[in-house]
Amino acid sequence: MGADKSEVLQGTLDLMILKTLQALGPLHGFGIARRIEQLSEDVLTLNEGTVYTSLLRLQQKSWIGSEWGVSENNRRARFYSITKRGLKQLAVETENWERIAAVIGRVLALEAKA
Amino acid sequence: MTDQALTLFAKLRMLFAQRRADDAFDEEVSAHLEMLREKYQREGMSAREAARAARRQFGNTTLLKQRQRESRTTMFFANIWRDLRYGMRQLAKTPIFTIVCVLTLALGVGANTAVFSVMHAILMKMLPVQDASRVFYLHTTGWPDGGSQTGSSETSFSYPVYQALREQAGLQDVMAFIPMSFSGKAPVRVGAAPEEAAGDMVSGNYFSGLGVVTELGRGFQEKDQNDHAPVVVISDAFWATHFSRSKDVLGKTLFIKSYPFSIVGVAAKGFEGTEGSLPLDFWIPFQSRPEFNAWGSPAEDGMYLTKLNFWCIKLMVRTAPGVSPKQALAKAQGIFERAAYIGVPPKKPGGETYKLSLAPAKQFDSQDDAFARALKVLMAMVGLVLLIAMSNVVMLLIARNATRQREFSVRLALGAGRGAIARQLLTESLLLVTLGGAAAWVFALFATRALGTWAEIESNLQPDGVVLAFTMGLLLVLALVFGLAPFRFAVSQGPELVLRSSATVSQSSSQQVRVGNAVIIAQIAICLVLLVGAGLLLGNLRSLLHTPLGQNPDGLLVFGIHPQQVHTTDEGYAFFLALQQRLRTVPGVQSVSMAANRPGSGWSNNSSGIVVDGHKPNGTESAEAEYRANVVGPEYFRTMGVQVLQGRDFSDEDTATAPKVLIVNETFAKKYLGTLNAVGHVISDPSGKESRLVVGVVKDHKYTSITEDAKPMLWTVFTQSGASTELQYEVRVLGNPVAILPTLRKVVAQVDPEMPLLDPMTQSAVFAKSISQQALFARLAGCFGFLAIVLIATGLYGTLAYRVSRRNAEIGVRMAMGAQRKEVIWMILRGSLWLTAIGVVVGVPLAMAAGRELESSLYGLKSFDSASYAGAILGVVFVALVASAVPAARAATVDPLKALRAD
Repeated sequence: MGADKSEVLQGTLDLMILKTLQALGPLHGFGIARRIEQLSEDVLTLNEGTVYTSLLRLQQKSWIGSEWGVSENNRRARFYSITKRGLKQLAVETENWERIAAVIGRVLALEAKA
Repeated sequence: MTDQALTLFAKLRMLFAQRRADDAFDEEVSAHLEMLREKYQREGMSAREAARAARRQFGNTTLLKQRQRESRTTMFFANIWRDLRYGMRQLAKTPIFTIVCVLTLALGVGANTAVFSVMHAILMKMLPVQDASRVFYLHTTGWPDGGSQTGSSETSFSYPVYQALREQAGLQDVMAFIPMSFSGKAPVRVGAAPEEAAGDMVSGNYFSGLGVVTELGRGFQEKDQNDHAPVVVISDAFWATHFSRSKDVLGKTLFIKSYPFSIVGVAAKGFEGTEGSLPLDFWIPFQSRPEFNAWGSPAEDGMYLTKLNFWCIKLMVRTAPGVSPKQALAKAQGIFERAAYIGVPPKKPGGETYKLSLAPAKQFDSQDDAFARALKVLMAMVGLVLLIAMSNVVMLLIARNATRQREFSVRLALGAGRGAIARQLLTESLLLVTLGGAAAWVFALFATRALGTWAEIESNLQPDGVVLAFTMGLLLVLALVFGLAPFRFAVSQGPELVLRSSATVSQSSSQQVRVGNAVIIAQIAICLVLLVGAGLLLGNLRSLLHTPLGQNPDGLLVFGIHPQQVHTTDEGYAFFLALQQRLRTVPGVQSVSMAANRPGSGWSNNSSGIVVDGHKPNGTESAEAEYRANVVGPEYFRTMGVQVLQGRDFSDEDTATAPKVLIVNETFAKKYLGTLNAVGHVISDPSGKESRLVVGVVKDHKYTSITEDAKPMLWTVFTQSGASTELQYEVRVLGNPVAILPTLRKVVAQVDPEMPLLDPMTQSAVFAKSISQQALFARLAGCFGFLAIVLIATGLYGTLAYRVSRRNAEIGVRMAMGAQRKEVIWMILRGSLWLTAIGVVVGVPLAMAAGRELESSLYGLKSFDSASYAGAILGVVFVALVASAVPAARAATVDPLKALRAD
């Protein structure tokens, strides 16, 4: 079902945003979108609006916080930063992701041999 | 906290900040788009291209905003809304059921709330003062011989007592307050027009001791009391009506009894003084001018500040922190016992010791026990009405939901969640109770105000939200328990019920019918009790209204006159006589006289001690011969329409210098002279100083109120009775007395433009007012009886209609087997007549017990009155027949073929 697919995608995006905020400190939505665009090297194309859906979800879980501030070119913007809960969650998620990635990798490798 | 809980919290928070969040998100999105556009422009795109690319890159903003809004908050409320809409549709589908339920709740719960609110205000509501648990009214059981007293015997104290308590009793504060007059009102003037306003003279610590703050300006200080400062604090209500809450009211002048007082403050909103049912308009510090004697008494009789035996000061106390009321009272009692005898002969050995007591600082000082008792009777009646109303609603709900068992089974069979159905039922019950509650609140608003007006409580009355919430809560619980019963049944039977369900199977169970019958019988019994009670009270009122008054109050107008510019007794005589002469010349006026105590208002001079022709009065000890007295003007009995049995009425010839005369009533003549032929005898006081010749004997007639019994009474003419500051003018006119009022006002204004007519009303109204409490209770009881009848009718109708509809098939079978329509109708009627009969049998002993209770708590009521019982029983039977008639008629029109074919 469609919902399941987006669930995975959402989760992925959430993880990417958490990691970005952990690595770069407070950032506004535009900055986050730039960072992901940069890192994905055009492999991942996404509507940048989707970032905000993810940001809201993360905020509701108190994994990130937000604050209004002024951007580098003097525009009022909302800056997001990772919270303590978010850091803990990032550690868990990272481990999960690595484990699953490892499993998937092994499964795919098996397929190739056979 | 779990992530889900956090999310839910965040969503709930957003419920209240939706709009702000929308705006913030808009700003965030547009800033993002703007930055994207700039980035593309920097990379070399044209402005238009950049904008388009930015929008493309960002995605659909409208959709995003919509999604954002949805996930920001929860869908819970959207579901509730759906349930509500569905519930409303269900209720609208059965409009009669809905209307009956809502009206039943409105009447039952609304009436209950109103009566309880008034009762609460009178019996329980505390004064809006700081830390009210330490503030008390001071009461006494009596005052020493030789004291002169105001008539408010429990609450009046002398100036020495006030001073002693204030200085020695260790109380934190002793607040003193004195009414301006016996009516509590005094003539005042803000602009040009004179009017009356209610006020007290108070001690300097009145506001600070009570802990009442001011809305504006200041309260009083010790200095104001000591200097008798011409300053005044007005009430919030007076501020609003006379100064439109203008801030520059401070420093303005209020004329009281023609003397200017400077307004220094406005009392806190909601504080209306400490005079119970009379809300005060102003307060002034203790004054020393003769015009400001306590209770408006003549200064010649002695000023309250210097006449040591004048018991006229009302007191409240605030106990010190940490001192129990009992300790404070014990200390005050000792001081009181000494101070009470300052200015009067010392206490005789073995004489009564007068006891102080502390009454809680309630809005209404608890003196009027009769009123409180009557209110409790009312409360019991309205409680019974509420019981009927609640059982009605519950029965209607049961009946309604029972017919829906199959609906639930079908929905279950089709895969509806149990939770969804339960929630649906809950919503419907909730909706019904809420609608009923809203209607009840509106009804209670009006009813509380009406009750307050009837009970002559001018203070601000509000329906009590707590009571309403409590009754509605109780009802909600009942509605849930009983409303969910059929649902439980449907769930326990499972979906297969629908498969074997038919009219014959889904018939009401015999247990349900038995419970229903028991409820109906109980309702009828309660209704009977209410009707008998209402009958007794109304019968009592009727007999009161037809009590012979011994006089003719029709065509009489009465008003008080309190001249300001009169300083000596002789000036007073001249003034009042001149005004009488002037009023006699007004066209349409037949005769005019005066009285010190307005007849029918409850006031009376009560004294004891007479000597008849130098002897004991007819075997009674002189000192123990009690009598009532009034001071009146010439032609008093002709004006009042009282028959003079012997001798003559007072006349203009009975002047201050003429021989002193008096007139007695029948009872006085018989009791103290042993004969009606009293004219010519001489009555003196026990000291023998003052003797008066009896010149007339009048027929017994009502004096203080309609309910009084005849007592020995004498009248003297005011020109031979010492100083009067205020007299009540009785004016007999042709036609409607109220119509002449404007003319009389003009006449009085010619004499003195600053002198208002005090409390003008018809003499009939004064007497009617003397039984206003009885009238109020009787009429309310009548209303409750009627309410009970209406409720019984709707309840019975609802239940029977439901039962007949369930018995369609059975009736069809009976008719197919040859039953006649008449027999079917009789079958239904017989059922309800049986229930009524049992209800009556249960109800009569209950009614008799209640009647005895009524007799003991309400003055002059006879508990057994066959007419009341007969009326009540007939009423109940009649209602039962009417309520059954429609369902019975419907049963008779059942078409056997259709009934059997259905299902």
